[in-house]
Amino acid sequence: MDPMQAIKDTFFQECEEQLGELETGLQAMEDGTADDETVNAVFRAVHSIKGGAGAFKLDRLVKFAHVFETTLDRIRNGQLQPAVPVMKSMLRAADVLADLVTFSRDGGALDDSRSNEVIAELSAHCEAKPAAQEEPAEEPDGNPFAALGWEPVAVSLEPVLNQYEIVFKPKPELYAKGNETTRLMRELARLGSLTVHCETADVPLLANLEPEQSYLSWRATLLSEQDLAAVQAVFEFVDGDCHLDIEAVESAAETAPEPETKAAIEEPKAVAEELRAAAPALREAAKAEAAGTANAAQNTIRVDLDRVDRLINLVGELVINQAMLTQRVLEAGAVKNASIATGLDDLEHLTREIQESVMAIRAQPVRPLFQRMARIVREVADATGKNVRLKTEGEGAEVDRTVIERLADPLTHMIRNAVDHGLERPEARTAAGKPAQGEVRLSAAHKSGRVVIEIADDGRGIDRPRVKSIAIKKGLIAPDAQLTDTEIDNLLFLPGFSTAETVSAISGRGVGMDVVKRSIQALGGRISITSRPGLGSTFSMSLPLTLAVLDGMVVKVADQTLVVPLNSILETMKPKGGEVYGLGPDSQVIGIRGGFTPLIDVGYELGFRSHRSDPMTGVTLLIETEGGVRSALMVDAIQDQRQVVIKSLEANYGHVEGIAAATILGDGRIALILDTDAIVNASCGRGTPSEMLLAG
Amino acid sequence: MSAPQVIELPENLDMPAAAQLADAFAKRLGEPLAVDASRVTRLGASCVQVMLAAARTWKAEGDALSLQSPSARFLEDLNLLGLEPTTFLNGVIAP
Repeated sequence: MDPMQAIKDTFFQECEEQLGELETGLQAMEDGTADDETVNAVFRAVHSIKGGAGAFKLDRLVKFAHVFETTLDRIRNGQLQPAVPVMKSMLRAADVLADLVTFSRDGGALDDSRSNEVIAELSAHCEAKPAAQEEPAEEPDGNPFAALGWEPVAVSLEPVLNQYEIVFKPKPELYAKGNETTRLMRELARLGSLTVHCETADVPLLANLEPEQSYLSWRATLLSEQDLAAVQAVFEFVDGDCHLDIEAVESAAETAPEPETKAAIEEPKAVAEELRAAAPALREAAKAEAAGTANAAQNTIRVDLDRVDRLINLVGELVINQAMLTQRVLEAGAVKNASIATGLDDLEHLTREIQESVMAIRAQPVRPLFQRMARIVREVADATGKNVRLKTEGEGAEVDRTVIERLADPLTHMIRNAVDHGLERPEARTAAGKPAQGEVRLSAAHKSGRVVIEIADDGRGIDRPRVKSIAIKKGLIAPDAQLTDTEIDNLLFLPGFSTAETVSAISGRGVGMDVVKRSIQALGGRISITSRPGLGSTFSMSLPLTLAVLDGMVVKVADQTLVVPLNSILETMKPKGGEVYGLGPDSQVIGIRGGFTPLIDVGYELGFRSHRSDPMTGVTLLIETEGGVRSALMVDAIQDQRQVVIKSLEANYGHVEGIAAATILGDGRIALILDTDAIVNASCGRGTPSEMLLAG
Repeated sequence: MSAPQVIELPENLDMPAAAQLADAFAKRLGEPLAVDASRVTRLGASCVQVMLAAARTWKAEGDALSLQSPSARFLEDLNLLGLEPTTFLNGVIAP
């Protein structure tokens, strides 16, 4: 890759992190839980983005970040109080900043009017302070801060100068490899003001000179606004081919206690000193920032995702291989040997541990995802004129990166729904005796090996009579269907159902809750609704922590080995005579504790056999599909319950109806992983009445 | 006294040019010499070493060594390396 592009990519990655920090900090400020450090962190985030953007000449980004930063500085200095309207503008500014970052990275169209609007808002907040009003007229160049009587531009463009002492002695290898001191010095000179002294004493007389040798060494002093890393980067390619010592010199201004002495010492650096005085805040921020980056650099590394995936894949193979080895050893009868058995146990233990550790690499906290939702809530609240606050909990919960990525769209949709449909208008809320400000709560928590994400609003709850009447009108249910509250709530997930009377720009985008449900299911998750009239609704999603392994029950069907995902199995049972009833020519139901559940012969359904087997000879697995529909799956025998490594069937073969994926068992054979929902759907598509399923 | 011999420096004084440059100086040892740097567009440290060694040698021999019409680039690169043209003119090598 082009090295410049690589640096730029890193910058944008860092921007994402900074935007996250910004969002968190602003939220804390809005909640009133912020302290001085929070405000500093917010300031640093904007400042870093601006700094990086400046290096890449992203002028629009720099310009906006600068105005933003200036306002934050006033809050930090106590000149501006972070009151509600101010914070609103700040949050809006954060959104615009995020847009500008995206625009700078991906290109595309960008509407300047919004950023100009926010710039005007921010400057209005600053101008509102009478102390700052010296020249009320705005400058014709449109700089909103021209009226403030101080010059932020001068400060930002001429940041604090750092002094570096560089001692450099090349080895002959440096020159042999085609590197050149002249070029290095030129690079250094580009960073700032450079003074070089050449040490020539080692140069011999011509007769003793070996042209390939290196006799010269240099001492250089660099005054630069760049950080140490930038100076070190100049020597990146000659590392090891020279003696190099770069030292950031503590500035005299910080060490000198007396102003008079300082003046005397600092005489030649008068300009730098002036700048220092003009921007103490910036210097502080830059220092903290440097410390922050230094820490971060020590604790984390950036790794290409492909590499992690390759590792995960290999570890998956390792797990399979280990299972196969165990099986072989068992078959060979060598397990009587205690040391071999212990060795195998240890190996299994280790493999599991490696697998878990590798999975953990891909796991990421849901925080960035939740932070994005804060923005969605703001936008929808603005568009609908509702007053909403988003409360998030458990942002630290870690989930596989892919799960997080694929969760963004469904979550966005549900958040929009919650604000647009769930919450009432402020007047209606007040009339109902609720606070005018609605609340949407977004939470994540780990529960029994899965992550549960909940979106709850304190709105009006689901209007069940209306939902039911719409479902009848759309022909989704029979007019005389008797449905429980839960069943009515679940109607929202049916394809073709939309309660919005007028299609709004916010939630009515042709994407219904059925799409949300399908996305969640595709992730191996399930979604459910609970709602209390007048008190609000809660959407609860339970998702696997990883998409690479699955807990499954290994079953035998018509001599084939299948894996049924454990999360869908409620119970297993052996049917007794008289519990199974025929229903029409082609279906059967099983009586379980006074109710009836459709009985599905998996072998018949998948085409493993041409006729139905006798239910009495097999075992039934009572499963619940994502819609809460219960069915009984009939299999021949249960073999095992274990964790299996998921291998995509689509990627390696092709899609098979009723099959979610495949895995490789210990004996080296491929076992298919059942897609229970698809099996149930296929089966009821062949004649089981849908009312029956809903009432089941 | 005859006019000094002139060595015309090539355009590119990078590391591979150093050995040749050292040879060129060695051939003219013992006579006054002028170094024409008008064509130089690139000056590397290896060649600077050779020129410094030559300056030191010529001084030790008591012969004159001078620098003629250095190009802007020559002066710029020399400056980047922390040296001045006078270093060569006088045959003086800073301690």
